[in-house]
Amino acid sequence: MDNVSQASAARRPDSPQVITSLVMGLVGGALLTGFAAWFLKAESEYVVGFLLLLAVVGAVAASRLGALDRIGVAFGAYEKSLYAIVIAGVLVLAWIFRQDHFTLLMITTVMVYMLAGLGLNVQFGYLGLINLSGASFIGVGAYTSAVLTMHSAIPPLLILLIGGVLSALVGCLLILPVLRTRGHYAAVVTIAFAILFESFLKVNDILGGPQGLPVGAMSLFGWSFNNPITFGGFQASFYMNYLLLTLAVLALAFALVRRVERSWIGLSMDAVRLDETAAACYGIGIRRWKVLGFTLGNFLIGVAGAIYGMMLGFIAPANFGFSDSLILVSIVLLGGIGNPWGLALASAIVVILPEKLQMIQEYRFLLFASLVVLVLLFRPDGLLPRGMRNYLPGRKVAP
Amino acid sequence: MDAALLSQYVVNGLMQGMMYALVAVGFTLFFGVLNVIQFSHGDVLMVGSFVGYSAIMGVIAVGIDNPYIALAAALIAAVTLVGLLGAVIARLFVLPLRSSPPLNTLLITLMLGTVLRESVRLFFPHGSHPKRFPPLLPTDSIAIGGFDLRVDSVMLLIAGLLVIVAIHLVINRTRLGLAIRAVAQDEETAMTMGINFRFVVLVTFVIGSAVAAFAGIMNGLYYNEINFNSGLLLGVIGFAAAIVGGLGSIYGAILGGFLFAALQTVGAVAMPFDSAYKDVFAFTVVIALMAWRPTGLIAERVSERV
Amino acid sequence: MSESDTLLSCTDVTRYFGGLLALDHLDLDVHRGEVLGLLGPNGSGKTTFFNVLTGIYAFSEGRAVLAGRDVTRDTAQAVYKAGVARTFQRSRLCLSLSLFDNIMVGNHNRLSLGMTFNLLRRRAFARELEANFAAARDLVEVFSPALADRMNEPVANFPMLDRRRIEICRALISRPKLLLLDEPSAGMTHEETHQLMDDILAVRAHTPELAIVIIEHETSVIERITDRCAVLNFGKKICEGSYAEVIENEEVREAYLGAA
Repeated sequence: MDNVSQASAARRPDSPQVITSLVMGLVGGALLTGFAAWFLKAESEYVVGFLLLLAVVGAVAASRLGALDRIGVAFGAYEKSLYAIVIAGVLVLAWIFRQDHFTLLMITTVMVYMLAGLGLNVQFGYLGLINLSGASFIGVGAYTSAVLTMHSAIPPLLILLIGGVLSALVGCLLILPVLRTRGHYAAVVTIAFAILFESFLKVNDILGGPQGLPVGAMSLFGWSFNNPITFGGFQASFYMNYLLLTLAVLALAFALVRRVERSWIGLSMDAVRLDETAAACYGIGIRRWKVLGFTLGNFLIGVAGAIYGMMLGFIAPANFGFSDSLILVSIVLLGGIGNPWGLALASAIVVILPEKLQMIQEYRFLLFASLVVLVLLFRPDGLLPRGMRNYLPGRKVAP
Repeated sequence: MDAALLSQYVVNGLMQGMMYALVAVGFTLFFGVLNVIQFSHGDVLMVGSFVGYSAIMGVIAVGIDNPYIALAAALIAAVTLVGLLGAVIARLFVLPLRSSPPLNTLLITLMLGTVLRESVRLFFPHGSHPKRFPPLLPTDSIAIGGFDLRVDSVMLLIAGLLVIVAIHLVINRTRLGLAIRAVAQDEETAMTMGINFRFVVLVTFVIGSAVAAFAGIMNGLYYNEINFNSGLLLGVIGFAAAIVGGLGSIYGAILGGFLFAALQTVGAVAMPFDSAYKDVFAFTVVIALMAWRPTGLIAERVSERV
Repeated sequence: MSESDTLLSCTDVTRYFGGLLALDHLDLDVHRGEVLGLLGPNGSGKTTFFNVLTGIYAFSEGRAVLAGRDVTRDTAQAVYKAGVARTFQRSRLCLSLSLFDNIMVGNHNRLSLGMTFNLLRRRAFARELEANFAAARDLVEVFSPALADRMNEPVANFPMLDRRRIEICRALISRPKLLLLDEPSAGMTHEETHQLMDDILAVRAHTPELAIVIIEHETSVIERITDRCAVLNFGKKICEGSYAEVIENEEVREAYLGAA
């Protein structure tokens, strides 16, 4: 299949260059995992600062030396094995920090943000529908899990799905104005919804008002996720449960979003985003794709919210405000619009950095907002720009 | 409900409507010349109220206790500095993004709003606490019929009306206004007619932001309190008002502002639910309006070149 | 020419913009297999005619029948499905997408768009992808063999001439009955324009059934490729006939020279 980019067409999957790339991918994965472990372990702010500097220098050097391109090619050719490397890296980190509640919580939170980011990525990155009420849809999922875990006997795994479905349904309330408007107008609909939702959560009596609600634990086959894991000599924090679950859900969602992109669906969505009028002239059903993408996005965001609620055990309106929606959009912009891997990098920066550098904790909104301003001015495609569509990665190039 | 309470609601609604209208006019002006949404506009307003507050504190610190001098100082400082801020925003953040997708401008100004908000919170002395804005206007009331009308409210409403009339005159009766309208109509033609596009954009941003600064001081005087995060909601409401009125029409924006205040008042007074739901009610109506009339009540002429 | 040769029949097509009459009771027929030049000074309603016909603007009055089917009230999507494809005066390609993707945008009607097909049945998808890739490549090859080797490059990398070619390929991939070309020479040099016209003539030789309506200003181009011309002025058709006939027409000369 002649669909691997021109650059990789020259390097067939069995060529020595790609083998080298694969090795580099392995080494890179190991280095990255090691770096992440060191970073998460770091206590003193000097060490954190040094590691940040190292990361920046390392990234610049790697991109100058072409290593990043090589890894990109390797990803194209051996995507499955490299997914395995990434998952293994996360598992290694989880093992290292198995008894450290806080670090496991952080890693899981990064993945929850990434999951929500995947939803926004479909809406904004593919369809061009900007959703400025992402945190509200997380809220729908989280509140669903709170009500259903405390007041029903529905199995929690099903509650995750229900959280997503409800979030998608709430999104359907917005679908008519979103479909009938474009650009700024659609954006204001979602902003109005974000503010509406936030004030509703604060003033209502049923859902706990400003104090919020407790959320029941996840449980699977009778195993409550609020129990620490003990397995022979192996002991791990209860957050390990949530980490593994989130990793599994995230992997599924990632594969789903990837397949959406690498299909006629993704192509149609791109066409809608880039030029609605021209798309209509070529027979593309604008409404169909907008409904599908908006709903799919809200579903993923809702699932993320349901997991988040169960993991935190307690939720309040303050978690789902407009500024949190802005943070979610920042993640998508920072990482690189339309590139799911960018979400990983950006979520990690947004979640972990303020926790590690307490001195910036207070300044974090200012810092991220300024960072996004700079990205929009000087690198509008984000830190990891989206590459060309590669419908069937890893397929051999046809004659 | 007795007449006194009703009149209070009416005055309150009018006052809010006036502020929303002033904010919405800014959105409309910016959208007119550049086709962009300047989303930090609400926070620009907030900066205006803080600049005004600082000026008043400065005047008091110098030992002058005439309230009108303090007010004049506040107005002059806020209008000039915030007008300048508007120009800086246009020059550094909005104009450079002209060739990118229009949503990028919305996003960059959204983030810029956060930068302004957080900067005031972090760097203004005790910025995270609400500040008491000194009452500079006479607080007596005039009794008309069965109810009292506060003098300061009347003065603020008249002042707001004057600003709106002034904007109307600038846009419709001056060469500058003509240039602004020409750019809004068709930028390329305006440029071939010798209009300095950049200059017109910058001046429009100065005017819009200065009006927001005025609204910020009005806000402070009316509520006697200013807060670092008051701009976000005002901005969103002003934006919604501008859109419901039909972006690009100044009169639509003013109409939208009063309409939104009316919705909030109705939501607080006349609806069967708790008055705390007034924002929920108002924004629900806005979303419904967008579904019904997607380009606003006064339709924007959509003429995409194909 | 007999009735059955008429592919598109427009009667009384009228379009107002507020008080402005952009198309004034226009009657126009297009026959199968012909190249019809649509001429007229700027602002005479040529592009508006395309926009009304393709469903971007609604008809204020009048109707259009394509191959026996009334397309007057059809949306842009439906008109496209009925077999009308177009290009735009200002190139409207998706610059960040690859050449192949851009052509596939035009093939939307013939792609399988189901969720299960796209997301789960990846083998079937791969087969469809390969078939389409081959078809797109063959089509591009008619225009330029060099382009056919660069199917995966972003369109932003290509010069104007190639972009026009890609745009025409995008319109042709779905095998339309009628192709509307809106000033394909805009923004190109004389040389490039003639290269593009060679390509269009090649396409014509390839698909003799295809009717083409072309908006064009350059007289040498019109003379060379059109079978018939219609001239618009102020939204009205003022003349119709062969190129030689229309340039001799008094009213046409006045319209172009501006003497009213």
